Amino acid sequence: MASDALQKQVATKWQDSFNRLNRGYPGISGLMGFSEAWAIAADFLYPRELGDPPKDFNTQKVRSAFDVLIQCRMLPMLLESFVEDMRRRQHLITHDVMEFMAEYEASGDPDAIGRLILRLADWYMAWAPGGELGHTLSSAYIVNFQTHIFSILPPAFAGGFKRLIAATLALSTEPADAAGPSSVQDSKLWTSFELLGLADRYESLIASVCYEHIENHVLETCQGKWDEPMLSTLREWMADKVVPWMLLPYGRGAKTTEEARTMLQGVGSRFDFHVCKTLCDLRTKEIFDIIIDYPESSPALYDLKECLQRVDQRPQLVQALRKLNKRRLLHPGADTKDILTQYVSIIRCLRIIDPPGVLLFKVADPIRRYLRERPDTIRSIVASLVVDAESGDSLVDENEPIQPLQGPQVDDYMDPNWEPEPIDAGPEFRTNKPSDVISTLVSIYDSKDLFIKELQVLLAQRLLAIKDGNYEKERRNIEILKIRFGEAPLQVCEVMLKDMTDSRRIDQHVQSQTTSIMHPTIISRHFWPQLQSSKINMPGQLKDIQESYAREYTTFKPDKKLRWLSHLGSIHLDIELQDRTVTADVPPLEAAFIELFSEKDQWTVDELIARVGPVDRTTALKALLAWVDLGVLKEEEDSSFRLLEQADISGALRPSGSRVIMEDEPAVVSVQQQQAEQMKVFWKFIEGMLTNLGSLPLDRIQTMLKFAPGYDRTVDQLAAFMEAARREGLVTVREGMWKLNR
Amino acid sequence: MKVTVKRWHAIAQWQWDIGRTDEHGDAEEDVCGICRVPFEGCCPTCKVPGDDCPLIWGECSHVFHMHCLLKWIGTVASKQQCPMDRRPWVTAERKVTTNGS
Repeated sequence: MASDALQKQVATKWQDSFNRLNRGYPGISGLMGFSEAWAIAADFLYPRELGDPPKDFNTQKVRSAFDVLIQCRMLPMLLESFVEDMRRRQHLITHDVMEFMAEYEASGDPDAIGRLILRLADWYMAWAPGGELGHTLSSAYIVNFQTHIFSILPPAFAGGFKRLIAATLALSTEPADAAGPSSVQDSKLWTSFELLGLADRYESLIASVCYEHIENHVLETCQGKWDEPMLSTLREWMADKVVPWMLLPYGRGAKTTEEARTMLQGVGSRFDFHVCKTLCDLRTKEIFDIIIDYPESSPALYDLKECLQRVDQRPQLVQALRKLNKRRLLHPGADTKDILTQYVSIIRCLRIIDPPGVLLFKVADPIRRYLRERPDTIRSIVASLVVDAESGDSLVDENEPIQPLQGPQVDDYMDPNWEPEPIDAGPEFRTNKPSDVISTLVSIYDSKDLFIKELQVLLAQRLLAIKDGNYEKERRNIEILKIRFGEAPLQVCEVMLKDMTDSRRIDQHVQSQTTSIMHPTIISRHFWPQLQSSKINMPGQLKDIQESYAREYTTFKPDKKLRWLSHLGSIHLDIELQDRTVTADVPPLEAAFIELFSEKDQWTVDELIARVGPVDRTTALKALLAWVDLGVLKEEEDSSFRLLEQADISGALRPSGSRVIMEDEPAVVSVQQQQAEQMKVFWKFIEGMLTNLGSLPLDRIQTMLKFAPGYDRTVDQLAAFMEAARREGLVTVREGMWKLNR
Repeated sequence: MKVTVKRWHAIAQWQWDIGRTDEHGDAEEDVCGICRVPFEGCCPTCKVPGDDCPLIWGECSHVFHMHCLLKWIGTVASKQQCPMDRRPWVTAERKVTTNGS
């Protein structure tokens, strides 16, 4: 039940509203006018079906109708009813969208999405109230329309949209054959995106399309292409192809080129970064093969260097390379020489990428550690030091100047160009200033002595193999190595070379006295590496030759005499048989055997060995079988051999029962064998002290061994030796105390 | 059958003929009594062995590197004696042994 006051209040309100709508016109004519204006306005705004014939509106009339509504402050009400109408008519759009989406899903053609968007833009234009009606109305319209659309669009739309963008991007970056129409189409499409608010909503999608496009392009063009710089090409491609496209999404509304450039700057550098990153990832993945291909691949390395300056992926590079090295290089199947070659390439390549050498240091560490464990590393390095003109595959670049080995350098703080260590250098990092490759290789080991020893062995092998007296090459090598290692350590090699010269001179003299078919190389025992010792006695005429030469030598050098190393060298001889003559170049042992066959036609192996001296059976058999291969001897059943005065016409070689396959033994004892040999001597000492003193710690043993003559091992070497002895069960160790095992 | 040797490239070691006939070779090596370096090596001041660092024979039958002995004789403390037996040093005529001929 309303009170009077309330009734009055309602009445006043009513009157107010009426007055507002009637606007002081007489009677209700104002109200009628308002009603008419509302009808016109509402009809004008009503969201129509696209196909409907557009109604003819008198602009003047609409304008005045809106004026009336504004006067009556009824615009918000109108807006409300407009929005409500839009909501009611939304099904029209939904229907369209569904149709296009169905088409897209059936065909997968992003073109359908493109048409959908253009259609939506048409709807938008059709329903738009027009800008002249005031900002409030149009912005409210935009918000509502976009809300509706986004609510309608199914999830599949995002995927389709992405493909559409990709398609436009591909269109603009491919060598365009129909550039004209497509770009018009594009700009229309982009205006629609903008209109519908899609550009903002899907910005990250657009960027991701662009990223993917860049990635694909980089992979396509740069994979495995290391022989030319790609980064600049990629940047040109960005500028020529991608940037024009980027103008559409990112340079919208730019009036001048200047303006566009500023708008693109941020996003452009983001994309440039992505180019670098993608290329960097790719090259990191390929780094191992790039290094193999060095120096053909150096452009790729310069690219990588530039990328790394932009993208901080150095740790990733180090990790990738270390992993690849571990998998592909540092395994038992790889040849030491190959590992060294690759290591040298890695050194060269990483120097390009990172001159201070931090990357190199991190990558090289496992390789160096691995190489140190390989038994033949030193030999391989030495072999490559001794440049062989024919083989040509040396690790050293011949153009590199030969320089003395460099030890680790101490920082020179007085140097005005001094630079601190790079920030990502580890605590272990030692600046190895641009030292040459050989210094780096030699520094794998702590001492140079091992190299010198190995070098001697190698030199000895090569000198003893020389028959024509031409050792100029070796002399040249030694001269080069003297520059590297210094004069003093190579003194021994110098003596070896001098022995060669002296032998020749002596031989000339001896030959001038009495001609001999023998041309010996006379060596100074203590200056050559230990040679395989074996004492064979040359039989028959061979002994005569030796003795007469030795006599002649002693006449020439009265204070000296010769001791023959009969098993070394080579003999060139002719064997005259009844029906043929065999010419051969054979080792002395083989010559000795065949000489014995001139005494009688059939020998057993044991008889032969008894005549020649201490030769082990396999070696003897091997020498005999060499003659069998030449068709001079024939193997009989009872492990005896018979001379074939007449060629064995039956020809077919019987598979020999005693045939042995043996590696050629080098004349010179290898460094390892020598060391093992020496250590045997010291074992006696160790055994002695452990017998007398019970158990001893390692350093005590070392101290005591130092009194032994010629002992020059480090504690580590001793430890390795003791460990080996333990494995053989000679000693035991408990809490660092070594004890004889008994 | 007849074997004709055309050419022989042999390897040999030289050795000082110090008048001892140990055909068994290098079982116990002879070293210079002064520098303890084998005779076939060279004295500490030399770098090249052989004719450039010859031996010297004494009447007392001791043999040294020539450079080592001359240095010793040059010192006052030596009293011109052989370092091994303290007899006055007399350089021997070259002892050509008759073995091998």
